[in-house]
Parts: sequence; structure tokens; C-alpha cells
Amino acid sequence: MNKELEHSFVKELETNQNIVHKICRLYTNNSHAHNDLFQEITIQLWKAYPKFRGDSKFSTWMYRVALNTAITLYRKSKRRVATQDFEAVSFKISSIDYDDTVEEQLKLMYSAVKSLNDIDKALVFLYLEDKSYREISETLGISEVNSRVKMNRIKGKLRTVLNP
Amino acid sequence: MVNLDLLKQKWQSVEQELPKLSYGDIHQMLLKKSSSIVKWIFLISIGELLFWTVLAFFVPESSKTINESMGLKTVFVVVNIVHYTIFAVFIYLFYKNYQSITVTDTIKDLMGSILSTRKTVKNFVIYNVSASILLLIGVNLFYYTKKDQLYTLMAENYEGYGAIPKESFTSLFFIGQIIFGILLVGLILLFYRIIYGILLKRLQHNYTELEKMET
Repeated sequence: MNKELEHSFVKELETNQNIVHKICRLYTNNSHAHNDLFQEITIQLWKAYPKFRGDSKFSTWMYRVALNTAITLYRKSKRRVATQDFEAVSFKISSIDYDDTVEEQLKLMYSAVKSLNDIDKALVFLYLEDKSYREISETLGISEVNSRVKMNRIKGKLRTVLNP
Repeated sequence: MVNLDLLKQKWQSVEQELPKLSYGDIHQMLLKKSSSIVKWIFLISIGELLFWTVLAFFVPESSKTINESMGLKTVFVVVNIVHYTIFAVFIYLFYKNYQSITVTDTIKDLMGSILSTRKTVKNFVIYNVSASILLLIGVNLFYYTKKDQLYTLMAENYEGYGAIPKESFTSLFFIGQIIFGILLVGLILLFYRIIYGILLKRLQHNYTELEKMET
């Protein structure tokens, strides 16, 4: 394949890899599966890259391909490890407003998000990434109104889980 | 009070501990092969299309002779022409659907095109199974009306059959055909349960989730 294309692709992905890592972390439970999914997303991005015309940002385009791979294309590896060898994501909160309980609560929140179903998780992920409802609805393929309604329902559900 | 917006605030501002891959690591990944479910679905579907196409060629010589002597030659020629025309249509539809699977589609559209590709193959198999059953029933009914002629022919073409007395031949032959038909259908259904169970359960489930949002 074209060396120049290859170079620009790897550069772009290297810069934007955090997006993919965050998705992998949400959709897998151990580092083996994380790497496996990252690998598959990379291949899918690379296969679709020649058709990427640059009329949207590389990162915007990436969200779609990466989520599609995580939700639909990726086959969970056979030796699915049940244990969770990840510590829930650690949020390093700056010393000024450091608060034990807040950090604890954030961890709880994160694991509650992780336990949502595949589709709800995608919705919440895009929300956390500060995407507009228009972008969310365009990524998922549902209407803007419905993604807003669904998002509010998920928020409510998470509230009752965490504040009984 | 914990809520999602608190997490959102922190999500952007706080460094999450994420792995960091180098240029070389990513470059290496480009050389690996994909193992996506689309690839599996493609391979399995091609296998099914080939299986049924090839199977149609493998009619034992002796049963051809019998069918011809029973006066079914023209009927089978017509059946085959219709059969292969329908095959061609299915293969074309499969190809068209498969081409429409793009990873840059919306989540819902991608799932939709994968499911419709599978549906084409599923319909292809349903067509084959029902066509086989109908043909089996039709031919057997026809045989039944001419069971004396059939017995003579079977005795000539298959050595074993000559030893069977004429009275028990009729019931033996038709019970055999029924058992064969049931076994065939059973095996095919089992195969599909397994394939769908493994590959499409999660996809189907997620697709329903998305559809529910729109109602």
C-alpha cells in the first residue's frame, strides 16, 4: 500500500489514540481483550482510511468506526476472562479540590456506566466526550429527539443506582 | 449527589491512565489480519452458497437412471433451470448486500446491512430446504402411483432390493424416504441454531435495543 498514506494514518492514530483506548476500556474487562479490540479497531480504521475524505475531522470519523467495531464487528475472544484485572479508571484529581469521597463516587459512577448495555454505553460515552446530540444521533443512526430522551432516561437510571 | 455530569466534568479535565502506543506499535498492527464477524459471516455464507450449488450436481447416477426410466426426465430439466436461475438471483443479492456493509455507516445502518446480508443467505437456505422437501414429496407421490414399475426398476439397479419381497418393499421404501427427509431438515436446523447463536445473538440484541429507542 501507499507509504505516504500509511504514514499519515499512523500519525493520525497515534495522536488520537486516547479515543480508541477509552472505548476499549469501556467495552472490555482486561488488558488482553483491550489490546485485542484496539488491534481490530486499528485494522478497520486502516481499511476505511482510503475513503476518508477529510471533510470531517479525523477524530470525528474515528468515533464511528471505533464504536462500530466495538459494538458490532468485534468478536469477543474465546477465552473470555471473567475477572476484572483493571482497577476502575483512576481519576487523578488535582490537589486543590481533592476529595476522597468525590473520587470514590466517580469510580462508582464509572463502573455503573460500564455495566450499561452496548448501545447505552455508546450514548453515554459520546455524551462524556462532549458530543452534541446531533453528532450522537448521527453516529448511532437514531433521531436527535430520541437520543435526548434516551440520554435523560439513562441519567435517571444511573442516579437511582448510585443514590438509593 | 453523584450524577453523570460530575463524571463528565472530570472526564475531560482529568488525565485518565490510558496505555500509550508508539508509532511503531501502531504500524505493526496494520500488518495483522482482521477477525471481525463480517469476515466470518462472509466465509460461512460463501460456504453455504457453494454447498448447495455443489450438492445439486451430485445426484447419484443410479437414481438418475431410475428417474429417467420413470419418465421424469423433462420434469427434472425444467426444475433444474428454475433452480439455477433462482440461485443466480440469490448470489447477486448476497453480493449486493455484502457490498453495502461499511464500517463508516451509522451504528444502526451497519447492523442493518449485516442482518440483511445474513437474511439473504437464510432465505437461500430456506428456499433450498423447502424446494428439496417439495421435490421429495412430489417425486414420492408420483412413485407411489407407479409402485410396481418402481419395484422392478429398483430391483434391476440396486442389488439389495431384489431380495426384498414386493409386499414389504413399498412400506420400506417410503418409510426410508421419510426418515431421510426428517434427518436432513433436522441437521440443517441444528446447524443454523449454532451459527446464529454464536455470531448474531449480540448483534440482534443490540439492534433491537436501537429499534426500541425509536418507538
